Amino acid sequence: MAAIVRLSSVCRRGVKPLFYQSTLLVRPVVVFHKEQQPHPLTARIHSSPPLYAGSDSNAASLHWTAERVLSIALLALGPVAYFSPGPVIDYSLAAALTLHGHWGLGQVLTDYVHGDTKVKLASAGLFVLSTVTFAGLCYFNYNDVGICNAIALLWSK
Amino acid sequence: MALLLRTLGRQGVCLSKPHYHVLYRHAAPMGTTAKEEMNKFWAKNSRLNRPMSPHITIYKWSIPMMMSITHRGTGVGLSGAISAFAMAALILPGNYTHYLDLIHSLSVGPFLIGLAKFGIAFPLSYHTYNGIRHLYWDIGKGFKIPEVYRTGYTVIGLSVVTSLALILM
Repeated sequence: MAAIVRLSSVCRRGVKPLFYQSTLLVRPVVVFHKEQQPHPLTARIHSSPPLYAGSDSNAASLHWTAERVLSIALLALGPVAYFSPGPVIDYSLAAALTLHGHWGLGQVLTDYVHGDTKVKLASAGLFVLSTVTFAGLCYFNYNDVGICNAIALLWSK
Repeated sequence: MALLLRTLGRQGVCLSKPHYHVLYRHAAPMGTTAKEEMNKFWAKNSRLNRPMSPHITIYKWSIPMMMSITHRGTGVGLSGAISAFAMAALILPGNYTHYLDLIHSLSVGPFLIGLAKFGIAFPLSYHTYNGIRHLYWDIGKGFKIPEVYRTGYTVIGLSVVTSLALILM
């Protein structure tokens, strides 16, 4: 027999043994299995990872991507806030900072809090905290000097 | 011969694709989600009152470990400071300049002012630079151990320099 070339290594795909039927993996169910359509990005924005996501949902990976996009946006806001401060930047910073913090603390929560009720309680508490934070920052932007000015005034001390 | 059989059975060849199987329409994927598995694991742990294995008490501390937990610590700290500021804005009477003048009137020495500024500037700088390092990892680069240390030291160095620069501004 000539040298056997490992097609899997060439094609970078897993080799499935011939007689391994994927139907062995599935549970025959009477219910009709709906084909999953990919949802448009706008319909899938959550402020926290949904606890009810099914096993073939890509919500978690979309959340991951959104976290990185927000981080980059926040990085860009820094120099913009320095060079052209104003109400637009103030409110953008308020939103970006609060959401970045909310998602970051959400990850800390996921790492250290276990058990359904504890997770639910902690998530609720985090939601309240983030809402109050955003409300407070917006209040400050509207009724007081605003975030950019506040930092400038503080630093001029 | 074996090669022929393997070619036919390989994933991606028409016959092995799941939606060609007759039973597919009536099937649902089996298995639990990662979340369910994790919950089962922790529930069993608490039920059996299992002690936790020593980890941070026995494992040798390394620069990457310390930088990672510092990233988390600065993140939580900065978030807490922002939340505290927001709540103060809502609750306290008087406006921002009023409280700023109050702090001014305390006539704290320049050294303590510098220290306070460092206390704000350093966590912010560190978290920002290490955040960029995280994004670098997220695009799949810099995972070799020497690279991890090199980028780590760069982050620490840049953080200190930036904080000092910010204090002097």
